[in-house]
Amino acid sequence: MIRTELKRGTAELAVLSVLEEGPLHGYEIGRRIEEQSGGTLRYTLAALYPLLYRMEHRGWLRGEWETGESGKRRRCYRLLPRGRKMLKPMREEWADLFRALRRVAKVTHA
Amino acid sequence: MRDWRGYVEERLGSLRIAHGEAEDVAAELIEHLEECYSVLCSKGLPEKEAYAQTCARAGSWKELRRRVNSAKRAGTMTDRVKQIWIPSLVTLLASFIGMAVVLRAGIEPIQPRGVILYLPWLLALPLIGAAGAYLSRRAEASRWRVYFAGAFPALAIAAIFLVTFPFAFFVDSRVVPGFQFSALAAMTVSWVILPLIALCTGVALEGVRKTRAATET
Repeated sequence: MIRTELKRGTAELAVLSVLEEGPLHGYEIGRRIEEQSGGTLRYTLAALYPLLYRMEHRGWLRGEWETGESGKRRRCYRLLPRGRKMLKPMREEWADLFRALRRVAKVTHA
Repeated sequence: MRDWRGYVEERLGSLRIAHGEAEDVAAELIEHLEECYSVLCSKGLPEKEAYAQTCARAGSWKELRRRVNSAKRAGTMTDRVKQIWIPSLVTLLASFIGMAVVLRAGIEPIQPRGVILYLPWLLALPLIGAAGAYLSRRAEASRWRVYFAGAFPALAIAAIFLVTFPFAFFVDSRVVPGFQFSALAAMTVSWVILPLIALCTGVALEGVRKTRAATET
């Protein structure tokens, strides 16, 4: 399991990436990230929701209450153009970081 | 069925945000925990185990409360002060001090076509704009806030002109006797447009420096 300090920096990219596939509610965002990372990235409520609110405030996402087929109300998050614009530089930044780590710390498969 | 509403309300306590927003946050957390719990139960976990795992996924409630308060209050007075007003005040003071130094040193302005150019002051403005932009960007300001803070001295002078000159022209002509529009244009160029360009150049260069630094890191 990855330490909290390391995970913190990954969360923005992880959230934007799963929302790129379509609008999702909070639980589903967390579940997809966990599933797609093979269980390595698992965010608590304390990590996930404040991050969603912060990203919403920056204009990267928009959260709206929606009523599902079951009649259950859920807050769905959609990626906004500004958030989509952030994805490319963020991915490049992380790729650069991984390349650097590979060279310096001999990290493999990064 | 577990009472997740009671569980959340008891642990979340009162948030320091608008009542409606706090209710939305609580509702969202309740919905998350309910779904998490029912998924774990549907996977065949005993209720007690599913409950324990769901609770563990909440993390620290104290931390959650603190972070939600901070995230939801972003954009309030504290943020505006850090992102706009402090950097703006710094750029304004620095530009006034710069002008005072130039005047005290007895440096004469050059005056092509009535435009007054204090060159050393104009040359210092990009640095002042960059400093304001740096302070604003460090507080995670949006681009327009960074430019506003960096260009604030020119904007402040523009605001003074906008208030003063209509008054001088239409209300009391004794304020600026015999004033001409050509002189107003020259003054606007001297004290607003050229400083604005110089300050914005500093802001833009600071942005380039930051991007380069991020690429090199």
